[in-house]
Order: sequence, then structure tokens, then C-alpha cells
Amino acid sequence: MFFGVASFLLIIAISLRITFGRYLNHLPEEKRQICLENFKSYLRWIAGWKFSFLKLSRWDRAIDYFIKWGKKNYSGWTVWLFYLMSLCYLYLALSGMFFAWFVPRGLFGFPLLLHVAAGALFAITLTVILFLKARYYLPERLKASSGLSSGPGFWCPLLKKSLPRTYIQAVAFWLFALTGFLLAASTLGSMLPYFNYPAQLFFFHIHRWSALVSVLSAILGLEAMIVE
Amino acid sequence: MKVQPERKENCLKVRWKKAFQIALLTLSLTIFIFAVLSISRRLEAKNQSGQAEVIKLRAVEKKEWSGSQLSPLHRIPLNDELNQKIVPAAPDGLPFSSRYSCEPCHSYSALSQGTHFNLKQRPAVDRRAEPWFLVDDKTGVQLPVSFQKYPGFWSPEQLGLSDWKFVTLFGRHLSGGGPGEPQDEFQTPDSRWTVSGKLEINCLGCHHRSPLQDHSEWVKQVMRENFRWAATAASGLGEVVGMASRLPSTWTVADGPNPDDHEWAVVPQVKYNLNLFDSKNNALLDLSRPENERCLACHSISPRKANSRAELERDVHLAAGLRCVDCHRNDLSHEMVRGFEGERLARSSLKSYDYTCAGCHLGQKPEKGGFGWTGKLGAPRPAHKGIPKVHFERLSCTVCHSGLLPEKEPQEVYTARANRLGIFGKAIWTSEYPLLYEPVYVREADRKIYPERIMWPAFWAEKKGKELIPLDSEEVFRVAPEAFSLKQEVAALLNALLPLREGDFYPAACISEFLFEPDANGGLKVRPLRKAVFSGKEARRQVLLVQVRDSEVKPLLPVFDPEEAPPEIEEKIQRTLESLKPLAGGRQPVFLINKYVYGIAEGYLEKKEKEGEPATEPALGFLEGEDFQPLLSSFQVRNLALLGDGPETLTEEQVELALKKISAASPEKEFAYIAGGFLFTLEKGGRLRASEHPAARAITWPLGHNVRPAQQALGKNGCTDCHSPGSKIFFGKVEAGSPLKTLHRESKLSSDLMKTGPLFQFLFGLTFLFRPAFKLVLAGCVLLMGLILLAVVLKLTGRTAGLSGEDSSPQGRS
Repeated sequence: MFFGVASFLLIIAISLRITFGRYLNHLPEEKRQICLENFKSYLRWIAGWKFSFLKLSRWDRAIDYFIKWGKKNYSGWTVWLFYLMSLCYLYLALSGMFFAWFVPRGLFGFPLLLHVAAGALFAITLTVILFLKARYYLPERLKASSGLSSGPGFWCPLLKKSLPRTYIQAVAFWLFALTGFLLAASTLGSMLPYFNYPAQLFFFHIHRWSALVSVLSAILGLEAMIVE
Repeated sequence: MKVQPERKENCLKVRWKKAFQIALLTLSLTIFIFAVLSISRRLEAKNQSGQAEVIKLRAVEKKEWSGSQLSPLHRIPLNDELNQKIVPAAPDGLPFSSRYSCEPCHSYSALSQGTHFNLKQRPAVDRRAEPWFLVDDKTGVQLPVSFQKYPGFWSPEQLGLSDWKFVTLFGRHLSGGGPGEPQDEFQTPDSRWTVSGKLEINCLGCHHRSPLQDHSEWVKQVMRENFRWAATAASGLGEVVGMASRLPSTWTVADGPNPDDHEWAVVPQVKYNLNLFDSKNNALLDLSRPENERCLACHSISPRKANSRAELERDVHLAAGLRCVDCHRNDLSHEMVRGFEGERLARSSLKSYDYTCAGCHLGQKPEKGGFGWTGKLGAPRPAHKGIPKVHFERLSCTVCHSGLLPEKEPQEVYTARANRLGIFGKAIWTSEYPLLYEPVYVREADRKIYPERIMWPAFWAEKKGKELIPLDSEEVFRVAPEAFSLKQEVAALLNALLPLREGDFYPAACISEFLFEPDANGGLKVRPLRKAVFSGKEARRQVLLVQVRDSEVKPLLPVFDPEEAPPEIEEKIQRTLESLKPLAGGRQPVFLINKYVYGIAEGYLEKKEKEGEPATEPALGFLEGEDFQPLLSSFQVRNLALLGDGPETLTEEQVELALKKISAASPEKEFAYIAGGFLFTLEKGGRLRASEHPAARAITWPLGHNVRPAQQALGKNGCTDCHSPGSKIFFGKVEAGSPLKTLHRESKLSSDLMKTGPLFQFLFGLTFLFRPAFKLVLAGCVLLMGLILLAVVLKLTGRTAGLSGEDSSPQGRS
């Protein structure tokens, strides 16, 4: 119950934060501040979306954009790994969160079977992608590339300045990698005949909270790395 | 012009005001009348009852336990049912009454509400227990009976079973009390309680530690309707002779013994064992918490395939030195802890959770009402290594730890109460019916899976629309005896021929590839022959009388030439025909051979030439006029051959015949036979038709024992104990056991009962073939990811500590 509520609120919160930040970026720099006026106009802006995101054409465009982005950032066969990882991750996140929120029993049946299979593919592809891409998010690289930010930064109202986009990208990347590691390790641990019931419970909780952080980092990564 | 409307308005106002006043007056009057009537009625009722107002006070319940852990030697006076002290040496004494003997110290009324006694009004029955079974193997009836209302369980009221009938049927394994002590308003005309006495709670049946305590004696006395004498005889305190069942229904205890009848209608009398009494006529009773043997008299279970007791495994808790009552505890209320999770106790002061599997092995946290300690009674804490937590949420502990290990099909078992185990004597008491099976795994309402026993009801019924009303099996047999008495007639024939036994050879009958022999109960036992006596199309139509010694079989009447019949054979023919006389029923027993007929005339063997065609085979039979009738009709031989040595007692042909007979007796009604998960009715053409019906569905009830140790628990050898494409747990075939030999039997997969879906379980099981590889790959991924992350962490740490990168340069340091 706690997990359900916490995960739901956190996902909503980060989505709102990202969209609010995006809204603030549209404003002139002197007007970028947290105030009721801005919040009201943000809500009006969001309300203006209505149900436009349900339009099929938007999804088509988004997928096209995603595919293009993949081709641009991954060379040769590695792009397929990226697509496979994304697809598996999408299913893992959707099935995991749906059952955690709406089914008291948790994940079971055929969705569980698919979850296990997708989980294996995700672990493999994530490992390879980590091999291929980790070097670009190392601290020294970040410093070098921070001045050459590939887009507008993240406006931080508390610091009253834009954070370099690469920092956010690195945070999202390493969080995603770390939680991916924890997800795979907790799955492996619960399958090995060495851990007793309390350990099984521990693995279960590690798995679900890692999954939540992973989803949050994926949302952040989507915003910072992929969406322009 | 303006005045008139104002007047009108005023008039209207006045009228409304008056109408309102009238309405208010009427309402007040009605309320007044109602109040007066109510008060007067109450006063009248109070006067009629003549009772003062009950003052509701409730004191703290009396504590009867002294605080000692000892069970004292009970040196106590015994009282009879008239509350008179028993003098064991006195002639014609009455048996002791537990109500009046135990009551001075233990509240009989309190303990009579206990689990074993209060069958009719048990307050909190949280889950199904094994029902009683109304069994009649002649008519193929096995019907679950219970006072508790669950789907598929028939209540005694529905079956027209009075308390008297219930006790005479099931008293063998009752502990007394409840239906054994009905109040006067529940006594029915068919009852003989004044003769038999009440079946009081048999306290000694459980608590008596004496080696003289004998459950078989209890059964014997109950079967003789010696209800008031049963506890005394079973305890060994006295010997009881006589049978209340043979006494006239007008007899009472006050009438005393009948000096004119010492052989047949002998009045039950008790002769006390004086060694068990002291000089003050106090009985010396060693009473304590019940021993395991006392519980097992009614609660033992054994697989049918076991050939001896030595093959059986013991419950791990008993093997560890625990007693049944260590877990199944009770206080004075005698409300037993059954030990399953979620059990609710209505009267007991015990916390039921503490005595569940988890209660002893895992403990319960104090905030949830437990003591917070594990290891009660020395219970080890289970590690359950590598078992995902879903197993503990969806399975009861007993799934992996209790009952027989699963095989491809559930195994047939005997249980003490259903199959009459634990009763010893010359007769064989164990009954083949009902047919019970274990283990099947069933998902219950709490969505957990439990191991259970299963049986399919079989009974004759009147069909009223969709409703079925069970018929009395005795009535069914009375209407269609020829449909049911196949084995009885063969048994009667063989018993009639018993005088022909020669040394160790005794008469038997060969039908098809089976040998039918008389058993000790006057019944029939069947075993297959190594080689069929007959072959070809005629095999199922012929019967051959033989003599048997162990596995040696020879014809009863050897082959001979009737033209030159040896005198010893003729003498044997004469003895055989004379033996058949009691079965002849006015017909003449004869032996046909070739063109001759042997018969008996005026006490002598008579040999005549047969009229018509000569006999193709020698045959024994009966002559009615000129008509030769074989010993067994073709219907009998055909169906006996079909039944053979199988567990079934009926064939479809028998059911068809019986339904025709019953329908002919009551043409306006529709009848059916239920067996093996199907409802059998007659089509318009008179043929048997099988269809599904809710009343034909199997019933199940959870099992708890025998508990297997951790080393023999499912999952000990890994996940594939249960999860594999050919798993016995999920793909075991559960086929209905039935008294009817038929192809129409309900058949299911175990996974159907678990409601898990066989396709999913198959695919899920399949994944376990790849699990080792999957684990290796996952381990590789985890290792690589871990190394990369570790490298990054090390790098960051190094930079932060100035061990690497730009900051480690001498300039940086300065």
C-alpha cells in the first residue's frame, strides 16, 4: 500500500517537475521563479494539452523521433540493442507498476512469465549498453562537455540558474545503471537456494524500490537525453 | 372588484386551518391509541410470563484448574444414570454414567459443548472437516453426511436420519454426547432410547490410560445398541453381556433381567472387575491427557496400497516425541484446537494461532497477539532457503509438508471413521467404501492452496426438476433386489456348498478370468486367475464350480463318462445336489451331463435321460417343470465377469435395470443414480444416459496429517519438485472413484482444482528447464555491471581523495 501510494506520487511529482521546468524554460529568465502566478499559468498551460497526448498521430511522431534518436546515438547493430532494451523496459515498468498499484496479489500468471523473460533480456542489453556508453558519462567527460551543453539547461529555481543538461543526463544514466544492477541482483538472489525467507523479503523490497527509482531515472533520462 | 378575491382568499385560509387542525387531532389520537395498546400488551405479556425482570449479571468464569501440572489418580466413586453410587459386588448393577460420575468435579454441561460432542450445534466451524459417510456397497452408495452445511455435504435431516439412526450408523466412532443424548423433543418413533439408554460422553474413551481400554469393545456394544453399557465395557471396568437390540422396545432398566431367556433376548448386564475398585467401592482410574492411541482409534489414515503397518510412515511430530494433544489442545470447554490458520475458537481460552504450524515454528509477533517467540515445543525454525515468498502467501504449510507424497494420480486411502478402521474381531470391519483419495491440491476461498482428500458421492435419488432427493438404499434394494444381489447370490451358493469341502480345499466359482471365493464374513472375495478357465466368446457367460486350496484350483465335479459313472462321483453329485436344496426355492436341483439328468428323488440320486438335445457342457442348475435354470443367470454371470476383482460393485447394466425397476414401481416420478461425477438417468428408449449435475461433483476437505519432515517436503530437491512440464503436482490426473464401472468418470488435472491453468503451469514449468542457464547469464550480467559500477565508484573516490586525475599533480597538492 505504502509502495503503491509512494510510487504513484513520486512519478506524478517528477512528471510535474519536469513539465514545470519545461514551462519555466519558455519564460524570460527574469520571470523564472516559483510563484503562484507562474504556477497558475503553468496549470493553464497543462490544461491546454487536454487529451492531445491520446492522439495516435502524436504517438506516431514520438516513436519516429525515438527511432531517429536511437539511430543517431547508436551505431550499427547496437541500435537494435537499444531498441530491445527500451521495449523490454517499457513492458517491465508497465507490468510491474500496474500490478503493484491495482492487483493486491502482485504480478502473477502470464504477465509474470513475460516479466521474467523481458527481465532477462533487459539485464543483458543493459550490460552491453553500459559497456558501450558508460565512458561518456564519466566525471571527467562531464566537466569537459558541461560548457558544450546540447540544449537548454535545467532551471533550478532554488539556485536561480540553469544546471548543465549533461549533469542531469549523467545522474539519470548512473541511477538507471545502478538500479538496473540492483534489479538484476535481487532477481538472481531470490532464485538462488542460499537465502532464507527474511532475505527473500529483503530482495523483494530491493527489487520493487529499485524499480521505482529506475522508472524515475528513466523519466528523467527521457527528458534530459532524448526529448529536445 | 378587489374585495371579492380577498374574501375568497380568507375563506380558503380558514378552511386550510381547520383541515390542518383536524389532521393534527387525528394524528394525536392515533398515536395515543397506539401507545395505549402497546403498553397494555407489554403489561399483559409481563403478567402472563409471571417472571420478574432478569438481572443481567456476569461473574468472572470459575477457574477449575488447581495450578498443578499433575494428573491425579482418580480414586472416585462411580455413579449410575440414576445418580446412585455403584457397588461393584452388587448383582444386577447398572453401568456407570459419566454424566453423574464426572460431574461432581468437571462440568458435564460445559464440556458437552466440546468439538467431539457438540456435533449438531458447533458454534464456529471455520473449515470443512471429514464428513461421515453413509455407505451401502450393495447398492453402490457413498454419501457424505455432516451436521455442518457445506456444498456437497448432506445433512442428516436431508437424508431423514434421526439421532437414533445417526448413532446406530456412526456410534462406532462417536465419542458420545450430542446426537447420542437427544432431548425428548428430538426423539423419533423409530428410536429405542429407553431400551438402549443414552450414549453419554465417553470420557474414558480418550482419557483412560489403562491397557484395558478397548475401542473395539465400544463398537461392539454400540452395535448391540447397549449404549448405556458401552463406556463401562470399553473401559474394562466391567464385562457386559446381552444385547439391547434384541429386547422389546417396551423394556426399561426398571424391568431388570429376564430370568426366562438366557440365550436370545438377554438383557445387558454388567459384571464389574472388582480388582479395579478399592474396599470403599471407589474406582481406581488412571486418567490423564489423551494418549496418541486413543486419538488414532478414530483419526488414523493409511494408504490402501500398503500391505502392512510396517510400510507406513509416522507423523514427524509423533516421531519427535510429541503427542497429538500437544498441538490439538483444549481447556475444559473441550473445544479442540484444530491448528489451521484463521481458526476461531468460541469457548476456549486458548489462542488458536499459537498452535498452528507457524505458531510453533515461526512465532507470532507480540503486536499481532502472539508471544513473539519461536520454537514452541522445540519446533525448529525453518530456513526455506531459495523459496520465493509467493509460496508462503499462496500455499498452506501442509501443501509441502503433509499427506502422502504426490504421484501421477492421487492415492486411495482408508480413514478410520470412513472405512471403519481400528475395529478388531473375527469379522473384517474395514470397508472398501467410501473411496477416498489424497492428495489433491485445492484453492480455497482464502485463495490459498491446501492439500485435501477427495471423494465423489454416489447415491440413488428422486429427481425433482434440478433438485435431487436421496433415496433410502434399503428401499432401493427392496424394489430391485435382482439388480444388486449378484455377489450375495454367489456367496450364498458357495456357502451352501461349504459342506463339500475336502480337507483344505473349499468350493469357489470361476467366472471369466476371476475366482470368486467365500470370505470370513459370509461375503465374497475375488482374485484373478493366472489363466482363464474359459476362452473365446463364451468366456463371460460361463461359470465353473471349483475347489480351491491357496493357488491350486480343481473342478468341483471332475469330468467323467456318464455311461460308466464311478460311484464316488455319483456320491459327490448327490451331496452337491443336496447342498443346493436350500437355494432351490421349490425347484429341483439337477446336474446335466450329455444326455443325462441327475436329480434327487426320495433321498436317492436319480439318473434320467434328458429330453431334447444333449447338454453341450456339464451344468448344475434347477429344474422348474421342464425348464432348466442355471445356478446363476446370464445377467449375473455377465456382470460378475465385468466387475471382476475391481473396486466397483455395479455395472451400467445393473444401474439400468435398477432404474427401470424403481421407475416401474413409481411411474409418476423420475429417478437417477449419481456416481463418479455424473448423473445417470434413463432415456425415453430405456437406455442409460450420463449428464453433469452439481450434486455429482466431488467433495474435498483439507488434510493435516501425516506431517512429513523437512527432508521429505516438496521443494527439498529444488523448484522442479513441483515446477516442471510433467509435474505431478500440476498435471497429476484426478479421476473419479466410483462404485459404478463406467467410462463416464469425471477426470481433471490437478491444476484445475488449483485454478492455476494448465497452460500457464506447463509454460512456467518449461522455464525451469532454462533456469540454470538463465541464472548463469544473469549472474554474468550482475558481475559485469557490478564491476563497471565499482570502477566508476573507485574512480570517483580516487578523484575525491586526490589519488588520480589532475588533482593528484604536485601543483594540485600545493
